[in-house]
Amino acid sequence: MNASELQPIEQFLQSHAPFDVLSPALIARCAREINIGYYPKASAFVEFDPINPKLYLVRSGAFEVRDPQGVLVDRVAEGECFGFSTLLSGEKVVNKVAILEDGLVYHIPQPLFTELRTQNRPFDTFFTRAFAQRLRNEHKFKAKDLTTTSRITNLMSHKPISIEVNASIQQAARLMRDNRVSSVLVLHQQQLVGILTDRDLRNRVLAEGLDGDVCVEKVMTKQPQTVASNALVFEAMLLMSEHNIHHLPVVDNQQAKGMVTSTDILRSQSSQPLLLIGEIDRQASIEKLIHVSKQIPVLLQNLISADARAEEIGRVLTSVTDALTRRLIVLNQQLLGKAPMAFCWLAFGSQGRQDQVACSDQDNGLLLAHEADEFAAAYFDKLTHAVCKGLDQCGYIYCPGDIMAQNPLWRLSLQHWQQKFKKWVLSPEPKALMHASIFFDMRAVYGPQTLFDELQDSVMSHTKDNDIFLAGMAGNSLQQTPPLGFFRKFVLERDGSEVKGMDLKHKGSALINDIARVYALSAGIKEVNTAKRIRALMDANIMNRKDALNLADAHEFIAHMRLANQGYQATNNLIVSNYLKPQDLSSLLRHQLRDAFKVVHDAQSGLKLKFTRSF
Amino acid sequence: MVNHLWLKSRFWFDSLSKSQGLNNRHLIEYQQTLTQQFMRNIYDADLMAIDLEMTGLDPLKDQIISIGLVPINHGSIPLAKAKHLMISIDGSVGQSAAVHGIVDHQLQNALPIEAAMAWLLEQTKGRILVAHHAPMDMAFIQKSLDNVFGQRLLLPFIDTLMIEKTRYLRQHGQLIEGCVRLGQSRERYHLPIYAGHNALIDAIACAELFLAQVSALGGLKQIKCHELVGLSK
Repeated sequence: MNASELQPIEQFLQSHAPFDVLSPALIARCAREINIGYYPKASAFVEFDPINPKLYLVRSGAFEVRDPQGVLVDRVAEGECFGFSTLLSGEKVVNKVAILEDGLVYHIPQPLFTELRTQNRPFDTFFTRAFAQRLRNEHKFKAKDLTTTSRITNLMSHKPISIEVNASIQQAARLMRDNRVSSVLVLHQQQLVGILTDRDLRNRVLAEGLDGDVCVEKVMTKQPQTVASNALVFEAMLLMSEHNIHHLPVVDNQQAKGMVTSTDILRSQSSQPLLLIGEIDRQASIEKLIHVSKQIPVLLQNLISADARAEEIGRVLTSVTDALTRRLIVLNQQLLGKAPMAFCWLAFGSQGRQDQVACSDQDNGLLLAHEADEFAAAYFDKLTHAVCKGLDQCGYIYCPGDIMAQNPLWRLSLQHWQQKFKKWVLSPEPKALMHASIFFDMRAVYGPQTLFDELQDSVMSHTKDNDIFLAGMAGNSLQQTPPLGFFRKFVLERDGSEVKGMDLKHKGSALINDIARVYALSAGIKEVNTAKRIRALMDANIMNRKDALNLADAHEFIAHMRLANQGYQATNNLIVSNYLKPQDLSSLLRHQLRDAFKVVHDAQSGLKLKFTRSF
Repeated sequence: MVNHLWLKSRFWFDSLSKSQGLNNRHLIEYQQTLTQQFMRNIYDADLMAIDLEMTGLDPLKDQIISIGLVPINHGSIPLAKAKHLMISIDGSVGQSAAVHGIVDHQLQNALPIEAAMAWLLEQTKGRILVAHHAPMDMAFIQKSLDNVFGQRLLLPFIDTLMIEKTRYLRQHGQLIEGCVRLGQSRERYHLPIYAGHNALIDAIACAELFLAQVSALGGLKQIKCHELVGLSK
């Protein structure tokens, strides 16, 4: 058999990393020793042969590598490999490989794999690096030290002590003594209705001179603040410091799952973002607040170097912005006097989505409970100008498009906001659609949630199943495409002769934000954070599981690359931008980035098909 | 099961009636070893995907130019055991050269048909042949056997085109022009498109299609050989 007779197989090897670095002679040898296997989806998992371990190179189809606990370790598609961990470590196979799509797989026997590695250095490096990356992925799930990125479920008490609502407070006190806890959850028909703490027993029982047979319901704190088990530890701390409480029931789907206390959190160590937010909350003057805000870029750098997930970095940084905004509102209200009516401070765009990073500008507005008279108008004019100016001085520069609460256009009563949104939805002209992409990612940073809910509910009622508006939004978001050309080559932007690279924000993250937004609006999903939107879409079966997981991963990956790149730019005193040059990346990262863009591309096609076909 | 018994009895009668005629012991042995495969499932059976390139489509006039072989064992296709043989022919390759990319001078180090057929029997002994549009390949093989050994053999084979035709008809009710060609059939199973076109690549392509088909039919360990086998003589 002469070498070129297996040309299609050799060509495939030549065009996929890391085989592309092999000499033609080695490629030919490799092709000749391949065993082709077929893996139908119906058999669910790849069966491994423990006696003859081999490298699996996917020719077609899709696979998922999961560790024994079922945690996703890697996703493998055409041109990618699995099975190398076992070959490199010599340990027996523990991970399971699920077959997502029928697949044709090239098996490369261990002796050949070893020979290719010894003969070719870059080939060897590719796999050792991929192996290290995977270990790091596995390790990431175990990391608990970073308060900012660890979750409530890691430190909550899993068997909460609870009592029925009609028990006596003496029974409650005994229960607390016997279990040596400082609080109990109060349940009624399995539902959490309140919480009783040491402090309640002191302030509401002893100090008031009540008897021990008084019913728990009389003295408990009703409808307490709660937290979800997958919330960040850091978010729980924020809730505690905001409401001056020390106990937070952990509730998932209205079921009490546990309890987390300030002591639990203290034990898990405080860390920098919390200290920073604590400091923000303590500052008594705007000048001092500006001074404290100088630490924000340092915090970002620390988070990037700690390799936190991009989504979590966004949430942490946005929480800092939120805290800063709230503190500015409170301080300025101290100067201006109490507000004449209830109002919400609205955050739009990236702050709304909780994915702020470095060099963000302001996008905000004000929602008033009702129409402002002359006095109220003057009051809010002063307040908003002061807060926006404060934010600008803290590093959140004025919005170039003037979308700010200090602009009377974006300082409206509930009724006017409702009309404004209705107009955008009912007559989706280009300008309205451009606005929509900013304004529909909104969140109340300050003020009564009920007021904000009223606005959001009315907006959702207009957008849900509104085909014409959704087609407009979809069409608008399809004007940008990911930077992939034919044959999956990166398309680079140039500035004169200088190569700027790829714009990871406008040609990456923003496209995913757009896609998630259109779907969310179509389905009346209220989440604004892109990752949460995607999850909600998956849970509601609007996006299929595979597409949703892929899109969420692509979102995280692109955002991570952008942050890592900005971290690199900042530490090397380069101008911080959204542009990434692919030549700065390893072949593996390039490969993954290409895949992430491919996912965006596919999701755009899906969006086009679903929303724009009839117009 | 009926097919299995029928196949066995066909082979038994054949060897009885041929006991005088079939004088070549090797040929009898070749034929006998095949009957062991019928009751095996596809996963355990010894199979060999085959593709022939010919000078034309008429077994009486045209000749075999090359043979591609690749075994199918335990659900995988070992390329290390793939074989590609060129056969020297009378006259020129002519027009079909354009299709197969074989030019006359390549055929210079080819085997004559007599040696090629002996080689084929040796390579495929004990293995049931799998081909796309198998009756055509079988007709050429039978004709060549007849020319070389003066007799034909009763040969079992599996035809991936027939499997695909049955499946397609069941799903769509009627056939469309070209819908069960090798390339089109492979596309339905999301198998890759191979640019190259020679007997070996087509044999590999056929083997891959076969694995996909059997998986779709119910699984390699569930389907028995005799359920798919046809006979050629």
